[in-house]
Amino acid sequence: MSALVVTDLHAGYGDARVLHGVSLSVGEGEVCAILGPNGAGKTTLLRALSGMVRTRGTVRLGDADLAGRSPDTIARQGVAHVPEGRGTFMPLTVEENLRLGAYVRPASRRARAEVDADLERIHGYFPVLKTRLRQAAGSLSGGEQQMLAIGRALMLRPRLLLLDEPSLGLAPLVTRELFRIVRTINEQERTTVVVVEQNAHLALGIAQQAHVLETGRIVLSGTAEQIRADEQVAQSYLGYRV
Amino acid sequence: MSDTAEVTRVDAPTRAGALRRVAAERWRWIVLAALFAAACYAPFQLVPFRVFQFTMVLVYAVALLGLNLLVGHAGQISLGHGAFFAVGAYGAAIMLDRFELPYPVTLPIAAAVAFVIGLALGLPAMRLRGLYLALVTLAMAIFLVPLLKRFEEVTGGSMGLTLPKPAPPAWTGLAEDQWLYFLALAVAVAAFLSAYSLMRSRVGRALHAIRDNEAAAETMGVRLSFYKTLAFAWSAMFAGAAGCVYTWVIGFVSPDSFAVTLSITLLAGLVVGGLGSLSGPLLGGLFVMFVPSISQDVNEAAPGVIFGLLIIAVMYVAPTGLAGLTGRAAHSIRKTLRKE
Amino acid sequence: MTGFLQQLVQGLGAGAIYASLALALVLIYQFTGIVNFAQGELAMFSTYLAWQFTAAGMPFWLALALTLAVSFAGGMLIERLVIRPVEGAPELTVVIVTVGLFIFVNAAAGWIWTFLIKDFPNPFPGGALEAGGLRVSYSTLGVLVVVGLVMGLLYLLFQHTRIGLGMRAVATNPDSARLVGIRVGWTLALGWGLAATVGAVSGVLVAPLLFLEPNMMGGVLIYAFAAATLGGFDSPVGAVVGGLIVGVAETLAGAYVGFIGSDLKVGVPLVIILGVLLLRPQGLFGRAAVERA
Repeated sequence: MSALVVTDLHAGYGDARVLHGVSLSVGEGEVCAILGPNGAGKTTLLRALSGMVRTRGTVRLGDADLAGRSPDTIARQGVAHVPEGRGTFMPLTVEENLRLGAYVRPASRRARAEVDADLERIHGYFPVLKTRLRQAAGSLSGGEQQMLAIGRALMLRPRLLLLDEPSLGLAPLVTRELFRIVRTINEQERTTVVVVEQNAHLALGIAQQAHVLETGRIVLSGTAEQIRADEQVAQSYLGYRV
Repeated sequence: MSDTAEVTRVDAPTRAGALRRVAAERWRWIVLAALFAAACYAPFQLVPFRVFQFTMVLVYAVALLGLNLLVGHAGQISLGHGAFFAVGAYGAAIMLDRFELPYPVTLPIAAAVAFVIGLALGLPAMRLRGLYLALVTLAMAIFLVPLLKRFEEVTGGSMGLTLPKPAPPAWTGLAEDQWLYFLALAVAVAAFLSAYSLMRSRVGRALHAIRDNEAAAETMGVRLSFYKTLAFAWSAMFAGAAGCVYTWVIGFVSPDSFAVTLSITLLAGLVVGGLGSLSGPLLGGLFVMFVPSISQDVNEAAPGVIFGLLIIAVMYVAPTGLAGLTGRAAHSIRKTLRKE
Repeated sequence: MTGFLQQLVQGLGAGAIYASLALALVLIYQFTGIVNFAQGELAMFSTYLAWQFTAAGMPFWLALALTLAVSFAGGMLIERLVIRPVEGAPELTVVIVTVGLFIFVNAAAGWIWTFLIKDFPNPFPGGALEAGGLRVSYSTLGVLVVVGLVMGLLYLLFQHTRIGLGMRAVATNPDSARLVGIRVGWTLALGWGLAATVGAVSGVLVAPLLFLEPNMMGGVLIYAFAAATLGGFDSPVGAVVGGLIVGVAETLAGAYVGFIGSDLKVGVPLVIILGVLLLRPQGLFGRAAVERA
């Protein structure tokens, strides 16, 4: 059963067209990695999925068609996007950032109790955030801000989690830790994940399937093992020959 | 503005495109010459009151030319250009009243004084974004009126100063209103020519670069604060010159003629006339003069309502104002003519 | 000494009014990066509405409540109709549109209510509270209480409600706010509505001290600009502190600097704006200016 089905998706900025008919599907609870060189349209693909760029084509999440909807409507459908640059609300506190993630959840007494419980759960994944709750989010380190961004996304209880270059600007150790947590989250919460990543090695490590994007088109698709075994990909993105 | 629009519309940078641009340029000069001839002929055909009105159009056009340098070309906002207009007007009045200087001398001095004040005020304000300039200039325009009232012994206080108007030399055979008209026309032509050459110079290109993207202009080596301050001082100078001619023409100055309304009306006229174009100030001058005089019969507040709505409408649909619209119209006429 | 304290209190009273208009300016600036030059005129228009309601026989406080409600709706409507089309346009365009709004609202008030001055009822009793030789008029006291109340309510709204948190999120990072599901467009309209309401309070408070006429808020706007510049355009707390400082500075300068007197007091905000721009451009409480691309 596929959770996300994208068909013939086109997207761009003004006159510049970036995506030229991308189709893919991601199974319920799976992690899908999007690989490719700079400028291939990876970030634009995520932005198209969350409604931040104009699109043509269909994006089905369960029964809902998301294509052409506004970002806030798509978020209300349960899509959490951790954007490039992490989207931190810098002057707000860490706790406020996390609570904003649950902004669209109902405000009933029971729902609020659930939100508080989720906050606790996220502290479990990212203990460091708990010690910084009252601190301005802008004062966190890059790695902590990335954790905060993922935590904020989880506060939505998303059906689909979009991660844009979680490793960007982080030290290798921090990155590895982050991917370990993303895998845990995926396993424990059964959240469907689409991750865009320069570091193909790490991304393939947590993904069940992967697609290679070049100049706005998918040029190669397969299971993570198949992609890892592909000689060309190995040369281009993994940095070694098979 | 219209130049750039034309350039982008030319399909390829071919010889034909270049020729077409030369032809457009030639057309522009022919139109200007015809306009000038009509302007010289008009005062002999119109009743004195109309001549006076057109004289005022020229006065406003000179002030708007200055404002256009700042707003249209350098992209900075002034909500207080009436203050520089007042500096020129009062400067001329005081020179005529207290020192009894011959009136031709008052023009360069009034312009120079406005330039220096513009420079002094522009230095602090220009170090920051255009927003703050708008605040400072608005505060300045509001402060000016009580200031003028305070220094009564020089400015005549609330009563203002009444002065004799320049008399036409006997050899011209002109009536007073016609003579004043030609004085204003001469100043206006000089102002247009100097603004034109200024915009064609290195300085003009630097200002355009600042308007289009401050950060990029700076990395290309444009000294931002220097050029912005200079643009501010120049625009003050034009406003001062216009104010001086205003005093010649009206023969009377009082603080309440230069309330903040004047500054805002000037900006409104420029926006409606067309930012960044050479004909915008002239069209704006027509607007500043005739919209109030025509619509005031309906209601005292009608000019404001019209100006307010027009400004907003212009910013939505035609940011280049009337000048842009006529430019576009002329362009499409030329195009249809060529096709036939 | 008592005389000085007397002036100080009077300055705080004036400053509270500037603070509320400055707060309105800051509210909009935070959300949209726009300085709304029409803010004073909107407040003036609201004040005319209040006058109209009381003239129709409504008790003052009911008229005020109705005015604030109408102002709120009007502010939202203006954002949707007038500002939305130029959202994201160059700063110059947006400023000119608010100046157009300034001219239009000013003239519209003149058209509806004429340019003749009107007496605006003072909601507070005459007389004064006396304590230790200090006389504080009930009018000044009332202004301070009302403005304090408005600040308190805003603080509660922003710090302790879900909508307030959403508004702060939009103010700091609109793109990211959209991604967590906040309807940014409505939030911006909400910001304009709030600003119009807070501005209306300043108009209603200042009208009994001046006379009600279409150009009433011109001077007040300049003081509010000085207050917002001094406090920092991105800081609501700064707007309040800035407003109080400007009010006190103006009153003291008018009372103790013989040359300034009452007529040249309007030069004080000009000096303050220039001084702040030269010495500390981001204001007392503002974050260092970051260029909005």
